[in-house]
Amino acid sequence: MKARIALAALVIAAPAGMASAQGPLEGRVAVDGSVAGRCVLGPPSQSAVPLGTLTNTSGPRTGRLATIAAQAINFPGSYCNFAGTRISVSANAMVAADATAPQPGFARAVNFTSTVSNWAAANAVVTTAASAGGATPAAQGPGGTHPAPKLADLTLTLNNFAVPSDLLLVSGGYAGAVTITLGPATP
Amino acid sequence: MRAYLTIAALALPLIAGAAHAQTVTGTVSIDGSVANRCALSINSQTISLGEMSLAATGKLDTSKVDGQNRTLVGFCNGSAAAMRVEAQPLLNITSPGAPPSGFDNRVDYTATANANSVNATDSSVVAGAGTAATVGQFSGNILVTLSASSSPTSGLLVAGTYQGQVLVTLNPVP
Repeated sequence: MKARIALAALVIAAPAGMASAQGPLEGRVAVDGSVAGRCVLGPPSQSAVPLGTLTNTSGPRTGRLATIAAQAINFPGSYCNFAGTRISVSANAMVAADATAPQPGFARAVNFTSTVSNWAAANAVVTTAASAGGATPAAQGPGGTHPAPKLADLTLTLNNFAVPSDLLLVSGGYAGAVTITLGPATP
Repeated sequence: MRAYLTIAALALPLIAGAAHAQTVTGTVSIDGSVANRCALSINSQTISLGEMSLAATGKLDTSKVDGQNRTLVGFCNGSAAAMRVEAQPLLNITSPGAPPSGFDNRVDYTATANANSVNATDSSVVAGAGTAATVGQFSGNILVTLSASSSPTSGLLVAGTYQGQVLVTLNPVP
């Protein structure tokens, strides 16, 4: 009986004496970062659009607005890196630098239409509506929204140049401006 | 010298025997063991990269990732312990879907763990852990360093929060 007990004790002791191997052990280094939401308009193919002489210099329309071809300005590589963006455009009619009120039959403003395409399904469009005297030259036109990040070459087209009531234009320099805004649909 | 000592040892039982005293020798064996083991006293660290894109281009700023490092601390007491690294990419958790053309929402990198002057590396471009390296017995730092960062198309990064991780596995090979 004693012998049996001793044997049993040895059997139990043996496993305890063995150096059992440990399983794999894991450490962790978490890595995190962020990217801010950003919209960028690519550099315009031309930052200024020189139209030259605006009026006809001969013929029955002498002194009145000449036909001005549509102007296209590209913004390559424009992007927003987040979803839900909107494009809009605002424009100021071309107005004579001389602010003197024009005489009857004359105007000092040239209106035009600005269209920004290739962003959302709906283009951003605005047509200025300055008066002959140059009042209310500013106009703004909202465009569509885009549901995903986008990288695109935008095109701004200027056309439909017109003078209120097709009046004669007073002489002098004229200047207008177009501003394109690209940003979140819900600021 | 050795022979002399042997003779003396033989003589002692004779003397003892002459006195009729009984000598009983008991033996207490003492043994023990040390399990083949690895341990990490610092097993978790965090690398916060902050803004990862270049404001000028919208693309990955690799300088924000490459060279970043953290230190885990531990030991392995076996001569054949192995270390393995798994780099898991930084994924955009804000916009996890497939990105539009021209964009990326994933940043890959290579992670290197150095322990006992042995490197184990892995690139997150390919899923799973890299090749195991034998680190043997060591006690001390495990330096984890990031390098060779990239995005899949070198495109613009989609805005959002990105998360990834480096897993370092120590395996006490028997």
